Amino acid sequence: MSRANGPIDIADAWDLRAPERALLAWCVVCIALGFVMLWGSTHVGGGVIDGLDLLPLGLYALSLLTLHLLLVAARFRGDQLILVAVAFLSGFGMLAQYRMGSFETEGTISLNLLLFPIGLILMGAIAIVLMRGRYQMLAQGHWIWVWAVLSLGLLAVLLMFGQRFRGGVYAAGLVTPSEILKVTIVLFVAGFVARNAKSLGAWGKGLPLPPWRALLPLAGFWLVLAGLLVVQRDLGLFIILSIAMLTMLFVGTGRAGYLFFGGIGAVALAGAVLKVLPHGERRVTAWLEPFRDPTGGSWQILQGLSGMYSGGLWGEGFGRGSPQYTPIAQSDFIYSVIGEELGFAGCTIVIVFFLILFGRSLLVASRARDADGRLVGIGLVTVLATQTFLNIGGVTKFVPLTGLPLPFISHGGSSLITGFIAVGILLAISDGQPAAPPRNRMSTQTKGVPGKGARRSRGSAAE
Amino acid sequence: MTYSLDPELWPLIRVALHVGFFFTAAYLLRSIFNARQATELRHLPRAKWSARVPIVLLALLFTGILVYQATWQLIGASRPQFIAFMQLHDRRELNPAHRIMRGRILDHRGEVLAYSEEILGQVYRLYPDGPAFAHVVGYSHPWFGASGMESVANVRLNGGAPDGLGDWRKLGRQLVTQDKRPRGQDLTLTLDAELQRTAFGLLEGKKGAIVLLQPDNGAIRTLVSAPSYDPNRITPALFQDSGPSAALLNRATQGLYPPGSSFKILLAALALEKGFSGTLECPADGFTTSTRYRKIRDHDYYTARKSGSTWAGHGRIDLGTAFARSSNVFFAQLGVRYGHDAFYAMTERMQLNRRIVLHETPYGAWSMRTGEIRRLDPSDQYGLAQMSIGQGAALVTPAHMALIASAVGNRGLAVRPRLIETDEPAPLAYFMSTSVAERISVMLRQVVISGTGRGIDTPRLAIAGKTGTAENPHGASHSWFVGFAPAHRPQLAVAVLVEHGGYGSATAAPIARDLLLRAVDLGLIE
Repeated sequence: MSRANGPIDIADAWDLRAPERALLAWCVVCIALGFVMLWGSTHVGGGVIDGLDLLPLGLYALSLLTLHLLLVAARFRGDQLILVAVAFLSGFGMLAQYRMGSFETEGTISLNLLLFPIGLILMGAIAIVLMRGRYQMLAQGHWIWVWAVLSLGLLAVLLMFGQRFRGGVYAAGLVTPSEILKVTIVLFVAGFVARNAKSLGAWGKGLPLPPWRALLPLAGFWLVLAGLLVVQRDLGLFIILSIAMLTMLFVGTGRAGYLFFGGIGAVALAGAVLKVLPHGERRVTAWLEPFRDPTGGSWQILQGLSGMYSGGLWGEGFGRGSPQYTPIAQSDFIYSVIGEELGFAGCTIVIVFFLILFGRSLLVASRARDADGRLVGIGLVTVLATQTFLNIGGVTKFVPLTGLPLPFISHGGSSLITGFIAVGILLAISDGQPAAPPRNRMSTQTKGVPGKGARRSRGSAAE
Repeated sequence: MTYSLDPELWPLIRVALHVGFFFTAAYLLRSIFNARQATELRHLPRAKWSARVPIVLLALLFTGILVYQATWQLIGASRPQFIAFMQLHDRRELNPAHRIMRGRILDHRGEVLAYSEEILGQVYRLYPDGPAFAHVVGYSHPWFGASGMESVANVRLNGGAPDGLGDWRKLGRQLVTQDKRPRGQDLTLTLDAELQRTAFGLLEGKKGAIVLLQPDNGAIRTLVSAPSYDPNRITPALFQDSGPSAALLNRATQGLYPPGSSFKILLAALALEKGFSGTLECPADGFTTSTRYRKIRDHDYYTARKSGSTWAGHGRIDLGTAFARSSNVFFAQLGVRYGHDAFYAMTERMQLNRRIVLHETPYGAWSMRTGEIRRLDPSDQYGLAQMSIGQGAALVTPAHMALIASAVGNRGLAVRPRLIETDEPAPLAYFMSTSVAERISVMLRQVVISGTGRGIDTPRLAIAGKTGTAENPHGASHSWFVGFAPAHRPQLAVAVLVEHGGYGSATAAPIARDLLLRAVDLGLIE
């Protein structure tokens, strides 16, 4: 990594990343204002502000600085706005979690607090390890089968040894290892589709039917996955992965038929799954007719909406709302807490930052030189966007509740870290290939050398 | 760390920080927008496909969420059920839903029974004469939710759904100015506050219920249940009491009581519908369907036995005489004579075992129970005899007895009872044919002229009605009076029930008389 790779040195990188520096600084200022607001209302409310309360902001600023310097030192060329959007969102998440008291422990530093800086640095580390095209290893050769087996194996192990809590399956504590599937399965499917793009795109002449033979491995994998996830009652994850898979198939082969048939299949499946899962039907009823059973099935959603209504346009002010009346406010319903305390305006800001993140990621994915990068990028964006959409849509009663956390903001270790890993890979893709820029000479595609890089990538992505 | 912040200054600082936060976020967004050129990824090749379409789609999707969210968060006032939910179940003190100046609840003369008032920034709901109206008006409390009309008519009291451009404009103004205190609409009840207060006073210290309604249009002028509670002061203890003295129970519309002799109105209707015109032998010794069971006797028998004399019995009497004297022996025989099927057909026709909805909105219904007539085994003749004199498996609510009286007074047609002045009168059902109703009217008048109710006969008003003394396993008999006045052209139907009040003629009938005379003073009876 120390050898010059491409025409960029540290000074160039420093200049190149100047906008990022300025924007990150403003992020810190904005989040700091939020913290000051919270400290003030705690103080006025009779609480005590000590050093531990100042820690979240300090850690946040420090981790952004470290992240930035790391990227400069590594002469990282990748996207800066994705990074800023994630930095702002995770800062917002820290604010919200601090406000909900997730960081409160007896005089020690809570793990929940450390997850944010750890995640941010991890994101940078993954970006650096996989940059200059090394991300291609992830979806090459026998690796994709490793991802497939790993994904299903993890689910099976969970099913055998996991604990049930609130309808989901968890490993030790409330860690949900199945979160990492959002990355591993995208890697597998992207690799598979990239490799078999031709045969997968060969739809029947005349009657446009998909190529069953080529699809067989993928369909089999998906069926096993569906079975395992339905048994685990993890409907949200299943929806996310299915949508990501169909999107990757569509982008990889250019066949809109995948979306068409996928849509039909999805509707049919949704009906079947609702019959199988007892809480599915209840959720749909709560969504369609919230006032039929306002104190029962619709209680959560209506309480969340009541909080938002309390907030109105500008919000009550950070620290002044009463999120204790919002159910599961720290995780699934964090968005309605934001709505209560920062109002519709605050919600709009959050959504705009999410859109910046997704939009830029889509741009990066569309410009990746290789099919692997394109598909992995598309898959990861789809996963993140679908999860965000289902969470926010669920809380606002736009769609039924699926019980998914909000990326980068909700309380939930595994989901948070998975989000950071996904963005890390996206950043690596945005760094492009180790080729000289076109103005020097025509670029030739260089394949990454398996071996050293592969080992390193396993060390980072299989964490 | 030692520092202190002037609490006086904090609100200002808070607003400044709040504004600052939004400004910084906005500035950050602008800077990101401007940095698009500077952060262009020049080292990447041209796009294989345009990312513009998916980006626009995503933006539209999330804009859709925001627009939908706004219909709850910003113009939630346009969702009446949502506002109602928040008033009932949301405990956030700052929620604007609690600051709505709900409409007042008025009696039919415009007297205020419930109103909202803002005291130090909090809106409170006040009930000037709480306990007397509690069971109709109900309460509205930020923690305990709402009941009665406060709950059912919540949407209207909150101002209703926006309807037309003007309402929406008002809503927009409220949103921008953060003034979320619209005035709701007033609700006018059919109740007569003065008569209601009188009735409540007459039941003071007793348990019972009183209902007065207009036979021709169903307007309920009085609906009282005692004991009552003060809706200005709702306490958790109120909800823990579910015993026989529970104050929350509306005895008039939900309380099921044995009707005793007042049930003979229904039996008389049954007999007359069947064309009964003969006489029945009523021996002093009583009547039973089988020697295994205790004899059903008339109360004259017991009075005589108490005083040590013997009573000769009524002998052969016709329906009118039996009705005036309230002969149990006669009516027990009558019920057995027509049998189970005819009996249940009659109770069915008179809407027993139902709920009658007085006022319904999407958010709930103000309804009354009518009664509970258990289906007995067809071979159970004694049970039928018991029910025929209003004992055993027959239970009714006071409100429904008033409705039956009003049907008799309205030539057989029961008009749906209503509590809201603006609700249109609507026919409910013919409880009996017109000719039967007219004959029963005459019989009811006879009860007061020469029968068990003669104690309340007054030259000022021709009252018609039936007394009732209902035995029950919990103590002294319940005292009933069911009737109407004036007899020839009924303007008010009445049902009075006093729990454990003893003889109907002794307790309930005088209360009914006092109330009807008061109604004359108030101009409700001309």
